[in-house]
Amino acid sequence: MNNEVILEIRNLNKRFGPTHANKNINFTLKRGEIRGLIGENGSGKSTLLSQIAGIQRYDSGEMYVNGEAYEPHSPLDANKHKISMVMQELGVVGNLSAGVNVFLGRTGQFSKFGIISMKKMNRAAQEQFKKWNLSMPPLNQQTDGMMIESRKMIELARALSVDPDIILLDEVTQSLSLNNRRQLYELINRLKEMGRSVIVITHDIEEMVEITDSITVLRDGEIVGEVKSSETTPDEIRMMMVGREINGDYYRADMTPDYSDEVVLDVKNISVPHEISDVSFQVHAGEILGFCGLSDSGIHSVGKAVYGLSKLSAGSVELKYNGLSIKKPTDALRNNVGYVPKDRDNEALMIHASIKDNFCLPSLGELEGKVWLLNPAKLNKLSNEMTESLSVKCTGIKQTMDALSGGNKQKVNFGRWLAKDLKLLILDCPTRGVDVGVKAYIYQLIKEAKAKNIATILISDELTEVLGMADRLLVMKDGHVTREIRRDEDFTEQSVIGVMI
Amino acid sequence: MPSIKGGKQKNWLFTLLLIAAIAVILFVFNIISDGVFLEKSNLKVIISHVVYPCFIAWGFCFLFACGYTDMSIGGVVVLGSFASCILGNQIGIPGVIIGGLLTGLALIFVNFLVFTYTGIPSWIAGISLALIYEAVAVFLKVGKTTGPLVNTALNREYRLLGQLPWSLVFLFAGLVVIYFLYNRTTIGLNIRALGGNKEVSKALGINVNKTLLAVGLISGILIGIACILQQSYAGQTTVKTGLTSINMIFQPLAIYLLAQIIQKQINIVIAVPICSFILYAVFNILTIMGVPSGTLQEAFLGVFIVIFGIIGQRKVKGVIK
Repeated sequence: MNNEVILEIRNLNKRFGPTHANKNINFTLKRGEIRGLIGENGSGKSTLLSQIAGIQRYDSGEMYVNGEAYEPHSPLDANKHKISMVMQELGVVGNLSAGVNVFLGRTGQFSKFGIISMKKMNRAAQEQFKKWNLSMPPLNQQTDGMMIESRKMIELARALSVDPDIILLDEVTQSLSLNNRRQLYELINRLKEMGRSVIVITHDIEEMVEITDSITVLRDGEIVGEVKSSETTPDEIRMMMVGREINGDYYRADMTPDYSDEVVLDVKNISVPHEISDVSFQVHAGEILGFCGLSDSGIHSVGKAVYGLSKLSAGSVELKYNGLSIKKPTDALRNNVGYVPKDRDNEALMIHASIKDNFCLPSLGELEGKVWLLNPAKLNKLSNEMTESLSVKCTGIKQTMDALSGGNKQKVNFGRWLAKDLKLLILDCPTRGVDVGVKAYIYQLIKEAKAKNIATILISDELTEVLGMADRLLVMKDGHVTREIRRDEDFTEQSVIGVMI
Repeated sequence: MPSIKGGKQKNWLFTLLLIAAIAVILFVFNIISDGVFLEKSNLKVIISHVVYPCFIAWGFCFLFACGYTDMSIGGVVVLGSFASCILGNQIGIPGVIIGGLLTGLALIFVNFLVFTYTGIPSWIAGISLALIYEAVAVFLKVGKTTGPLVNTALNREYRLLGQLPWSLVFLFAGLVVIYFLYNRTTIGLNIRALGGNKEVSKALGINVNKTLLAVGLISGILIGIACILQQSYAGQTTVKTGLTSINMIFQPLAIYLLAQIIQKQINIVIAVPICSFILYAVFNILTIMGVPSGTLQEAFLGVFIVIFGIIGQRKVKGVIK
C-alpha cells in the first residue's frame, strides 16, 4: 500500500424518504489498501458501496477518483472509471449462460457486424476465471439452478473482468465455503500486490480483522470509527458497531456433548446422484449435529435430502418418534420438522409477500379453523407476537419482506419455525449475511431450541460456527461423511480442516 | 475445472433423438392414414400452414422474454391483414407488404409504449387494446362498431407470398435472422436479460426502456410479417368484435409453449418451426382420420402439450456441481 489516495469521499449524504441512510460520510481509500466496512444490518454500508459503484446517486457531497471529480450515473460508468462491485443480493440472470453473465451489459466488444461471437466471449470469460484463479462453472450452461457459490463466482469474474482499480465486495464470503473463501483471500492479497484497492463488507469480524489493512465502522448511517486492523480486536469492533459491550456467551461455553438418548431422526445410507453418497447418521433429542465440508462436499445437499427436497436414489430418512419416512417436504412439514435453507431470498422467503404471510406460512395447518377457514385474528396474533419477540425491525406486519434488511429477513425466516411445535430443525447457514447482533441472537435461539429438546442439524460454511455450537460434528468430503468428532474429542479447527481437505 | 462446453453433448443427443422420434411418428401417421399423410400434396398443405404461426410464435419469444403478455396480438393480426388486403388490392404485392408490415409494426409499438409508460399490467392493457383493434377493424369494413362477422379478401393474383415456395423463403430467412438476433446480438441478450432479472439488468447498465422499445420494434416486424403471410395464405381474414381475435393466437401460443418446453435442449428459435410442424402434422392426421375440427382437435392439442411437457421436463434438474 502506498500513500496515494485513489478514492476520496467528502460529506456524502443519501436519504430514502425519512431514512437518512448515509450521513456526512468522509472517507479516503489508498492505492493498494484493503479496507473493511462493518456495521449492523441497516447501518448504511451497502448504500455507501452502491453509490461508489454507480448503482445509486448520492443526494449531496463529493467523490473523487485519482483526484478527479467522480459522479457515476450507472455501474457501466463506474466500470469506465475502473470501479466494480459484487453485490450482496443481486446475483446473475438465470436464463442466460454463465459466459454471457460475465460480460452482460458489455457484450458489444465481442460483436462484429452486430453478431456476437459466443466462442470469443466464452474464451474471454474462461480467461477471467483462469487469470483470477476462480472456480469456473460450465460457461455454456444457464445459471438457473446453479448453486449460490457458483453464481457468486460468476459475479466475481464479472467484476474482475473490467480490470478494476477498486473492487467492492459486499458480503461475498458469506456465500462461500472454506476452500473458495481461501481462494478469495488469495485473490484479495494478489490485488493488493498489484496495487489495486478493495473495500470489503463482511459480518465475520474475525475474518475482517485478518484480511484487511484498516476497518471503517458505520452505525446508523454515520462513520463512528476507523482503525488499523493490526491494532484492533474483534471485541473492540463489536463494541464500536453496536455502541455498547455485547454481554453473554456468543457460542456455547461448555465442551461436553449434552443430549438425550432418544433418537429423533435416523438417516440410513442415503444417496442423491452426483451430490451425496451412502450418508448415514442419527440425531438425538436436544442434540445439535453439525455438518461441515468444502464447497463440493455435499453438506447442503444433506439438508435438502433430509427435508424431502431431493429425490433419493437409495437409503431412507426416518422420524423415529412416529416411524414415518420423509419422502417429500410435506411429510417433513406435517411431522414437526423445520428447514431454514441457505439461499434465503430464493428458497425460503416469499420475498414480495408480507411479514405476516411469511410468518404464518409454515403454521397454516395449525391456524385453520373448524371448516378449514383461516381466522385473520389468529394470523395477526401469531405474526405480531413473533415480530415482537424476535424484535424484527419493521413498520408493521403488513410490510413486505423485500424492504427488510438481511438480518431482519433472517429473523423471520428462522423465527417462523419457532412458532411451531418442532421435533427436528434443519439449519443451513442460518447466520449467512447477518450482523454480529443478530448472529448472537440466532445462536441464542439455537440454544433455546436445544433446551426445549429439539434435535437440530446445523450445516455451515463457517467452521467456527459449528465448532462453537455442535455436540457432534460430521465432516464431509466429496459427498461422503469422512469423520465424526464429538465435542469432548479433538474439537479444533486444525483437526477438522485436516479431514476436510 | 468444468469446460466451456458443459451440457452441449447432451443437447445433440436430444436433438438426434427428437429427429428420430419425429421420423417414427411421421411413419406411423403414414401407416394409419393408408399412405395419405406422406403424400407430396399433403406435406405441402402442412408446410404451408406452418409458416405464418411461426412468425407470431417468434414474436412471443421476444414478448415473453421481457415479461410481457400481449393479448392484443390477434387484434393486431386482424388489422394488419386488413391493411395488407386493402393496400394489396390497390397497388399489388408491394401494398400487401407495406400494409401488413407498417400496421403490425405501428400497433405493436403503440402497445409497448402503453405497457412501458402506463405501468398497467400488460395482459390487462392487451385485452383493452384488442377490443379497440377489433372495433376499428369492424368499423373500417362495415362502418359501424357492432359485431357482425366481417371478412376481407385479397385478390388471388396478390397471394403469392403465402404460397410455396415463397412462404418457405420467408421461413428460412426468418429463422436465420431471428436466430442471430435472439442469440447473438447485444439487443437479443439484453432482452433476455431483462426477462430473466430486471434488477440485475439495470445494475449492469442495460437501458430498460430502450430495450423494451426494441422488443416492441422487433416483435412488431415479426407480427407484421405474420399479417402479410396470413392474408397471402388464407386470402381473407374474418373477425367479429368481443375478443374473438384472441382465437388467432391460440395455435401460435401452443407452438411457443411446446418450444419453450424443449428449449433446454434445442434453442427456442429453432424449436419454433419444429414444434409448428409437429403441431400441424397432428392436426392434419386428426383431420385425415375424420376427427372433427374444433373442440375435439383442440382437446387433442391440450393432451399433446401435456405429454410433450412431461417428456421435455424429464430429468431437467436445476442444480449442478
